[in-house]
Amino acid sequence: MAVQQAPSQLGRIICLFGFLLLFHSGYSTFEHLSYLKAVDGHEAGLPLDITIELLMSVALFGLGIVLVADDFKEILMETEMAKQSIESLDARPSFYSFNHRGRAVFRNVVLKD
Amino acid sequence: MVNAAKLLQDLRASAERKPDVVVRLGKPLIDSGAVMKLDADAWLVYEQVAIAALDVGDDVLAHKCIQALEAKFPGSARVNRLNGMKFEAVGKLTEAAAIYKAILEEDETNVLAAKRQVMLLRAMGLPTDAISALVKYLDINYTDFEGWLQLADLYLEELMYGQAAFCMEEVLMLQSQNHIFHLKYAEILYTQENYQLALKQFCRVIELCKDHVRGLYGIKLCTSRLLKSAPSKDATATSQEDLKAIDLLATERLIAVYSANGAASTKSISTKWIECL
Repeated sequence: MAVQQAPSQLGRIICLFGFLLLFHSGYSTFEHLSYLKAVDGHEAGLPLDITIELLMSVALFGLGIVLVADDFKEILMETEMAKQSIESLDARPSFYSFNHRGRAVFRNVVLKD
Repeated sequence: MVNAAKLLQDLRASAERKPDVVVRLGKPLIDSGAVMKLDADAWLVYEQVAIAALDVGDDVLAHKCIQALEAKFPGSARVNRLNGMKFEAVGKLTEAAAIYKAILEEDETNVLAAKRQVMLLRAMGLPTDAISALVKYLDINYTDFEGWLQLADLYLEELMYGQAAFCMEEVLMLQSQNHIFHLKYAEILYTQENYQLALKQFCRVIELCKDHVRGLYGIKLCTSRLLKSAPSKDATATSQEDLKAIDLLATERLIAVYSANGAASTKSISTKWIECL
């Protein structure tokens, strides 16, 4: 998609609008039903404007999620594995041994940013 | 701070051993107390920084992390083995042995303590005892590919290539999609002068990871050895034409990989050198 410069900001705003529309349509439905109950009317299905509002909120949500989500990973495992190095695949973290030079190498080094 | 936490999480996921990076990122987090904002991840960070601090020689930081963990998880075996590791790192091997023995007496199946015991025996300079201890552990937990990898390494240190090859076969049974394990197996086979099987394994490496340069070199070495020796009468052996074809393919791929980056002068030199291999 073209809009990748500020993915999260625009996407988040769109998601927020979608949620507001959803909330509003839900509240309108509730009000509509209590109005029908008050005038003893029969339920003739949801009014058209609430339905349209709901569908619009779905569309906005869809758009917003696509913009907010992270980049896809490749489907072939091969490409993921190719990025891994021997250091990460052959590491055995439970089997670390500590009699190495590290303690001497870093003895007089102050590790900070 | 969010950046540091994310980097530490990536390092935990990739299991790379970069203690200087971890200490550089984690020490300010821990000293300032900002680590507590990470909620559940905070204890993982404490553990990670403790081990990295032991690697780097910062015993004060390690002690601080272990104390924080002990305050939160009193009586935990996982925290206690960190104490054992601390003793190992400063060289007090008998105290470390006592700690691991105590953990195993409480809970015979504790995997962490059993593994640390193996490495402790190796640190004490008793490689054969370490091997027997690890074999005993693997008798019970035979699906632990990390243990099999470590056993392969222990055998390689003793130059026992046959046993190391067996361990790598066990690893490959458990993790057959990993090209690095095939590579290690292939190199052990090459060292044992089993060029036929080594060639097959190197080809598998290339299959799993396209243009893996170390695998391509392995193929070239194997094919050159096999072409020089007399053709085998074995029906399952690769024929001479196939060997030449594989050799040509490996040469082409190597030249392609090296020509992709690099100046024109290095391209011609590397091409000539690869063709002479």
